[in-house]
Amino acid sequence: MPRRRSAKILAPLLGVLMLGTGLSACSSADAPETVRFHLSKPEAIPYFRELIKEYNAANDDVEIVLDSSSNLQAGFLRGNPPDLGLLNYNMEMARFMERGALSDLSDMPEAGRILPEVQDLVTQYASYPGRTSVLPYSVMAASVIYNKQIFKEQGIEVPTTSAELTAACEKLKAAGITPFYGTFKDPWTAAQGWFDYTVGGEVDVADFYKAMNELGTEVGPDSPASFQKDFKEPVSRMKQLIDNYTNADAASKGYGDGNLAFAKGESAMYLQGPWAFGEIAKTAPSLELGTFPLPMTENPEDLEVRVNIDLAAWIPEASRHKDAARKFLSYLFRQDVMDKYNAAQLGYGTTTDAAPATDPRITGMRDYFEAGDFYQGPSKAIPLTIPTENYIQGIALGGDATQALSTLDADWARLALRR
Amino acid sequence: MTILNTPAIEGAETATAAGTKAPRRAAASPRSRGDKANWPLTTILVLCALTVVVPLYVTISMAFKTQAQAVDGNAFSLPAPFSLEGFTTAWNLTNFPAAFAVTVLITAGTVAGTVILGALASFAISRNWDRKLFRYSFFYLLAAMFIPFPVVALPQIQLTGLVGLDNPAGVVLLHIMFQLSFSILLFTAFLRSIPAELEESARIDGASTWQTFWQLIFPLLAPMSATVGIFAFLASWNDFMMPSLITSDPALQTLPVVQSIFQTQFSNNYNVSFASYLMAMAPAIIVYLFCQRWVMEGVTQGAVKG
Repeated sequence: MPRRRSAKILAPLLGVLMLGTGLSACSSADAPETVRFHLSKPEAIPYFRELIKEYNAANDDVEIVLDSSSNLQAGFLRGNPPDLGLLNYNMEMARFMERGALSDLSDMPEAGRILPEVQDLVTQYASYPGRTSVLPYSVMAASVIYNKQIFKEQGIEVPTTSAELTAACEKLKAAGITPFYGTFKDPWTAAQGWFDYTVGGEVDVADFYKAMNELGTEVGPDSPASFQKDFKEPVSRMKQLIDNYTNADAASKGYGDGNLAFAKGESAMYLQGPWAFGEIAKTAPSLELGTFPLPMTENPEDLEVRVNIDLAAWIPEASRHKDAARKFLSYLFRQDVMDKYNAAQLGYGTTTDAAPATDPRITGMRDYFEAGDFYQGPSKAIPLTIPTENYIQGIALGGDATQALSTLDADWARLALRR
Repeated sequence: MTILNTPAIEGAETATAAGTKAPRRAAASPRSRGDKANWPLTTILVLCALTVVVPLYVTISMAFKTQAQAVDGNAFSLPAPFSLEGFTTAWNLTNFPAAFAVTVLITAGTVAGTVILGALASFAISRNWDRKLFRYSFFYLLAAMFIPFPVVALPQIQLTGLVGLDNPAGVVLLHIMFQLSFSILLFTAFLRSIPAELEESARIDGASTWQTFWQLIFPLLAPMSATVGIFAFLASWNDFMMPSLITSDPALQTLPVVQSIFQTQFSNNYNVSFASYLMAMAPAIIVYLFCQRWVMEGVTQGAVKG
């Protein structure tokens, strides 16, 4: 009796173990033309899933497999990264490129279609000699989001100078309307909106970081470029706007609260990117919204918008299906495919022949984008090892700006020494 | 869709019932003995129960809300209108059946492997305690308790990649490895309480070591096996980091990993994420409730025999 019972327990357990090894056999036997396509932006998955279905149906020799969950670092380390990546481009992704892990795409006709000023955004973070290994697919432009109805009711024009902005804020305040909705519980919102818009509106971000990278360990209170010197003015303006023109409970509000409150018309302006439009629309689908760059100087010529490369394509050196991946990349970069994606996700096209943005919520930034008046978020150019967002949150919550900026300088120099 | 919803809801309700029942029972038993109700203890227990019941309530009600209601800032409101949109979206976005099957396989393999290997190793160690090799191998295995996975993650990724174990089988293997030291600690402690005379009598009846283990010791270990199994189950079912780093084929990824796509900085899909979490949570709750009873029975049984 006991013998039979133990056999009864053992049999299914062994079965499970064998099944596990069986699965492993399946995964290691790669079909010759399976292209693993990494895409981790959840909002974009349904669109690309459809595209992949169409492409697979039209091409018998290739099968594109969507990968939205595998770990990139582990894939590169193991030597089997995805065959094609289409994702957010940032400092972390730049590390792979800098070390030559991404293959050269400069011979592809698609590389020639990319706007040069957009391609420059890639090289601002890192480059690999002789290679164009990252092709921008979609750019997100971000600036002040404003409630058109409130502006109309108060008779406020879109401000183009710092003084006009202050006047608009005063007018709103007098009418009992909160000018800006702050959500400082989430540190990234303080960095993305407040810090980046104010600093980017006044400082030449790319030049500044170029100088900072060259200085490295020499960054300090007396160096030619430093956070405490170059960012002093914009950060004090940021502090002034926060202290005077945000909701009183901003410290305890998060990103979700901000979207809800702004959708309900609780403030006239909101410092967020186009990703917030979808969130606001969940509560108020027909709210009329517009965008304008945050004016930091008295000269309207200085206005610039903040951009980031929302999606960029690359093919790793380690991929064993480069040709098939390149073919699919060409398909993704077809003008109609790109335009449709950008229109749906409120992005800006990255190619010379891209259709212009038409959504009224983002057309306020179109002229600046087309003229190349844009910068990448200054908070994004600092490696994640330095808790920049938390320092900025500290400033937003009433901390000492000078002290926080000199801490940033010290961190920067220390990190440069370590490298 | 409906097939899956039912167990999810049932599981959640059972848990809610269990959560609220506990304090009531605690309050009732002293009264039946004729004493006064122990109010401070009751209050503490009610508070403890609330920490489980409230988040569970939010999870359940959130899962059935529409997207607009999910972001309206009232977490405690009842879903109105009642919507299954979250479940369908989560089901499609995560390819739920496949991810669920992989997670079940990994967990089952881990539990089976941990219990069997743990029991075998502990039996060998505790019966050969006077021999150096076994004593030191015990310390060696225990030492693994002090090595957290993140520390050895990078070499493990490379190693599993090299030997073709960058798949669920590799995850099972590593889960067993990391679970083994704690399990052996529990098993050896329990084995010491089993009198050697029992084994001697089996030997006199002509049983081999193998037979002694399978027919005498392993059944006696049942309560401890249940405990070890529960720990292995929870660790394996809920693990994020190891499958995320070790498995390279996205089609063979586990639930916690595929669910991570709901956690993004820029959008809040509470209804979808909570629906998905609920579907993932249900089996764990059911298994835990089921096993807990078994553990209790096993413990009392062992006590009488001992």
